[in-house]
Amino acid sequence: MTRRTPPRRDALRTALRAAVRTTLRAAVVLAAAVTLLGAGNESASDAAAAPGVFVLGIDGMDPVILQRKMDEGSMPHFKKLAAQGTFQNLGTSNPPQSPVAWSNFVTGMNPGGHGIFDFLHRDPATGMPIDSAMPKEVDCEAYIELFGWVLPTGDPAENNRVGTPFWDVLHEAGVTTEVYRMPGNYPPTPSEALTLSGMGTVDMRGTAGTYTWFTDEIMFDSSGLKADYQPITVDDLDGDGVGDTVYTALKGAPDVFHLRPCDFPSGDDFLSANILVHIDPEQDVVWIKAGGDLENGDIAMPQSEAILRVGEWSDWLEMDFEALPMGMMNLTGMARFYVKSVRPDFVMYASPVNVAPAVPAQPVTTPDDAAERLHEHLGNFFTQGMPEETNALSDGLFDEDDYISQVAVVHADGDAMLDLAVDRFDRGDMTFMYLSDIDLQCHMLWRHHDPKYPQAPRHPGYDPMAPPRWGQAIDGYYERVDATLGRVRERLPEDALFVVMSDHGFQPQTRKVHLNAWLRDEGYLVLKDDLHVGAKAHHDVDWSKTRAYGVGFNGLYLNLSGRETNGIVSAADAAALVDELVTKLEALQDPKNGRSMVKRAARSADIYSGSQVDAAPDIIVGFDKDYGCSDDSTLGATPAEIVEDNTRGFTGSHLMAPEVVPGVLLVNRKLGRDGHDLTDVTATILHHFGLPTADGMVGASFIDN
Amino acid sequence: MIPLLTLFAAVNDFFSAVFGVLLAPFGEELDWSAWVDVTLWSVAGGIVALIVYKYVSNQKGIEKTKNQIKVHLLEIRLFKEDILSVFAATGKILVKNALYIGHNLLPVAVMLGPMLAIMIQLVALYAWEPSETGSEQLLKVALDAEHPAVASGEIRPTDVELLLPDGVRQLSPPVRTAHGQIVWKLQADTAGEHVLRLVAGGITVEKRWAVGPDAPTRVPVMRTKTWESLLYPGEDPMPADAPLLSASVAYSSRDLGWMPGGELGILMMFFALSLGAGIALKGVFKVTL
Repeated sequence: MTRRTPPRRDALRTALRAAVRTTLRAAVVLAAAVTLLGAGNESASDAAAAPGVFVLGIDGMDPVILQRKMDEGSMPHFKKLAAQGTFQNLGTSNPPQSPVAWSNFVTGMNPGGHGIFDFLHRDPATGMPIDSAMPKEVDCEAYIELFGWVLPTGDPAENNRVGTPFWDVLHEAGVTTEVYRMPGNYPPTPSEALTLSGMGTVDMRGTAGTYTWFTDEIMFDSSGLKADYQPITVDDLDGDGVGDTVYTALKGAPDVFHLRPCDFPSGDDFLSANILVHIDPEQDVVWIKAGGDLENGDIAMPQSEAILRVGEWSDWLEMDFEALPMGMMNLTGMARFYVKSVRPDFVMYASPVNVAPAVPAQPVTTPDDAAERLHEHLGNFFTQGMPEETNALSDGLFDEDDYISQVAVVHADGDAMLDLAVDRFDRGDMTFMYLSDIDLQCHMLWRHHDPKYPQAPRHPGYDPMAPPRWGQAIDGYYERVDATLGRVRERLPEDALFVVMSDHGFQPQTRKVHLNAWLRDEGYLVLKDDLHVGAKAHHDVDWSKTRAYGVGFNGLYLNLSGRETNGIVSAADAAALVDELVTKLEALQDPKNGRSMVKRAARSADIYSGSQVDAAPDIIVGFDKDYGCSDDSTLGATPAEIVEDNTRGFTGSHLMAPEVVPGVLLVNRKLGRDGHDLTDVTATILHHFGLPTADGMVGASFIDN
Repeated sequence: MIPLLTLFAAVNDFFSAVFGVLLAPFGEELDWSAWVDVTLWSVAGGIVALIVYKYVSNQKGIEKTKNQIKVHLLEIRLFKEDILSVFAATGKILVKNALYIGHNLLPVAVMLGPMLAIMIQLVALYAWEPSETGSEQLLKVALDAEHPAVASGEIRPTDVELLLPDGVRQLSPPVRTAHGQIVWKLQADTAGEHVLRLVAGGITVEKRWAVGPDAPTRVPVMRTKTWESLLYPGEDPMPADAPLLSASVAYSSRDLGWMPGGELGILMMFFALSLGAGIALKGVFKVTL
């Protein structure tokens, strides 16, 4: 029996298979080395002679904002680079989503080649959204059960992306290649090049990031939170009338030896570590002890500890999660703590439990031991792919000041890694470094001030009572990146090819479109019962009458017979139905102001090429500026309205038509023409080292060396 | 009668002085890795133990007992069909094993003290890294619940005051716990062996904090009133009349290269290396183990 993507519980599998993988990889490397030596590879010698390439990948940097900032003189290092070389728009992917766009860059292919079409794909059997990077099939029967213990025997999860990453081509040609925090590369594809996976890398629970909220404050409805809500009590152990001690626990990895491969962990299915908080009787300061055994009401030997005042972030606190008794197997995780309030209510945040790089419980690097080597240089660092705490801000438990302070912690972590990457860069190397300075902050803070159209009407999410610093934050992040650029450039060899790129730009999203509600109202999507408005599509859709449905931020699928388990649209009718939908979508108007909401609805057959086209959504809905798919509809829900104001959470967006949100390209060379896209950057890197593009790569180099 | 803490302090002072003399010829000029020191001390400890064992133990008795055990093992092999003979031989092996252990009691008793002293000194010398200048560090203090002023409630955690020397900053207010502990977060802006003064009930106790590369040979980890003061020769035990039970700074483990660091790492390596040296060299020194 097989079922679609299960919870990710790779820790045990990783441990059990590390030795086998290492042996296999050694064999592959040996074979590659023999091949290279035997052929006297000309490309390899060309590659060795090249001065090298350093690429800064800045997620979400927008060319219009950048130009404004350069014109204002607040980004002198970018201005200098643009003057010395070239600054132009960089064509993004369709759809312009980070996993898709970065996969275009990684493989040099369009989504039809690499098979990543959205953050979310759909399971053709159920219509249920699934993570696009994860494999579709998992063997649910691959385990042995002994005396209540479950021993998984299946293969570890592999990345769903198809194609050859550019770093493998470079490494094979003898180029020392290091790739830091590459989005969409979790699980990391096997490689001998140094890679650290970025966006998409899960926390120890196997989620994109589940934070924990400890509080004795009564929360009447915590069901909508993206948090693990932990109600606590503050004990008064010394009986002086003042609460002084909190006993609680932090959940980490799923209990891997008690869950079957397709069991979805919940509640008590997670391993946990003791957390003890001593509260000072007079001052708003606490002593947090994490990990270790609780004896006589105290943790005498915590694994890590911190003293925190209100509003202060802890360093990483490491703790072991006991997978097997008596220390036979401990999975080490780490979290950062933040005390929001001590009195009258105790409120404490713990970050998602990250995999500890010194002893990674699941692979986040290639080779496997690279995480440990990075740890030797950096100490602990974020291994979770998107560490900025957007969930707590969206949930309303963080305010913008909390969020901005957390982002500063993330950025300090990124600075240290970037410094290391620059230090390690030698002439002739290739290094890619991903920076998250811009993207999520534009998503979350745009409503306070539009950095792209400063004179535009206020965002519907604008809060007149919000402090001005929240509105100035995005400009500040751009300026911060400028300082980073200056720091990097002065330390790199002058003749190295230096590229700054972003995967897409940004636009305001003032309105959110419930695409599935529109499909319902137009009769393409039929619910089992009209009363089920707002229900999840995969539960309540009447598939016997449904012809089209949406999953993901831009994807629209036909309920195609032979492809979807309950498909009703015949292959003969499909093209006409797609044409009909495209026409209607492009004519779709916002009832509030009459504006067109969809800039371009693209037929995937028209825009994609490659081996994976058949898995693509049938239509890629390219929203216009100000519009984007709602979170509800993205997950398959069908709210009552078709469109409504977007007032909270992701108020800036790029999940639109690609021509609305181009990225940036800056190169320290004069380029002859513009109109380049992400796949051209890949081709350029290979060309710089005298290497041909790999099979399926569609880009062309923009330099002649 | 000499108070126990005074005895502990004297023992530590004696062995620290001995190690100081032994280390003097090597000096700080020998810029080799710390793991070399740990290896040499462990091997030397194994050789010394071997020699002591040779002259303290009943070598003839041990040899005779081991031979008798071999005879009974052979008996089991030869007469394995005769279950009564096997039982009888097994019983004799158990008796001889007990005798063998008995032969080892005296040498173990003789060597226990010096070997413990070597281990304590090795841990004190090589287990911890002084704090880096500018790094944050926790100072933890525990009240002595048996001290009359503490037991009567006259002195509470909130009554303990910390006086800082120049170059050391307090990064946050202390946390005073219901378990009678007080913890401060400190940062040293300058290197040196800083003296932190703890005042409680009119008594001032000094706690040293080693910061920077020119730290003392033995990192001052903990002052305590308990038997644990034997394990921390870097500082004197806590004064008996102080209302404090202990004061400690949690240093990071020292990097010993390939060798596991920290207290446990050094103890493991000492056991393994000294035992290995003893076994490897028993023929050279003509010792029967």
